[in-house]
Amino acid sequence: MSILADSVDRVARTPSAEAHDRALFEEEALGHADQLYRIALRLSGSTQTAEELVQETYLRALRAWRSYRPGTNLAAWLATILRNAYLDEARRRSRRPATEPLDDESEYFLYDQLSGGRLEGPQEALMSKLTNDAILQSLEEVPEHFREAVVLVDIGDFSYQEAADILDVPIGTVMSRLHRGRRQLKRALASHAIDGGEDPKRA
Amino acid sequence: MIAEPCKGVEHRLQAYLDRALTPEEVSLIEVHLGECQYCRQRYHFEAQLRTTVKTVCCGDPVPGDLVDRVRLAIRQSA
Repeated sequence: MSILADSVDRVARTPSAEAHDRALFEEEALGHADQLYRIALRLSGSTQTAEELVQETYLRALRAWRSYRPGTNLAAWLATILRNAYLDEARRRSRRPATEPLDDESEYFLYDQLSGGRLEGPQEALMSKLTNDAILQSLEEVPEHFREAVVLVDIGDFSYQEAADILDVPIGTVMSRLHRGRRQLKRALASHAIDGGEDPKRA
Repeated sequence: MIAEPCKGVEHRLQAYLDRALTPEEVSLIEVHLGECQYCRQRYHFEAQLRTTVKTVCCGDPVPGDLVDRVRLAIRQSA
């Protein structure tokens, strides 16, 4: 099963066999639509943009389907295309990645804030200070480069290496962006958390 | 005053949750978590936070006809 044998095989395919291969590819690729949509939604923050990005991803994927090597990671291959489509879209809207803030808090500053310095307390009570809206809003506030890493690894379940391939950066860059992105997500969560927990209406 | 082992756990906690540590580092952390309530509470919080963020961020309904509309777009562009 060498690459060479594979490409020779492809050259020798008849048109109808190739159409068959393409249809199989399309079906397999469409199996990843939900995962791509969720990543697109978390990158763009808009359901309409997310759907447009998914459509664009599939159009590009089907134009380039011969360059996909069967047996390799199709989800990551599609996510790479999605990410490029997203960058093109972001460029059109001329969104600029925000600058990096300082990164000197303790790992536990969100915990410390939510627990109000009290040592004991059930986890559920702490987590209930973070509403779904606060979490979604907080993720949107994480600057683009860092949010991409968080979305791919923490939400999309891609490994460091897969995220590095998708983003076309070294793995160390992914780890550093992920670290900063998580910190910034926590900072945003701290600012959106329900204050104190006594009176949720004050949020 | 935070003890040195606790600092070490704080520093490696995210990598631990990422399963990106060596078996030796994992075992040092797990031994410490077993004996230190301060770190254990924070570890549980960080782990739960990840799960919660993921659950909430994957919770949006995917449009039921998404795949149909993608197929349509593919046919129209052909």
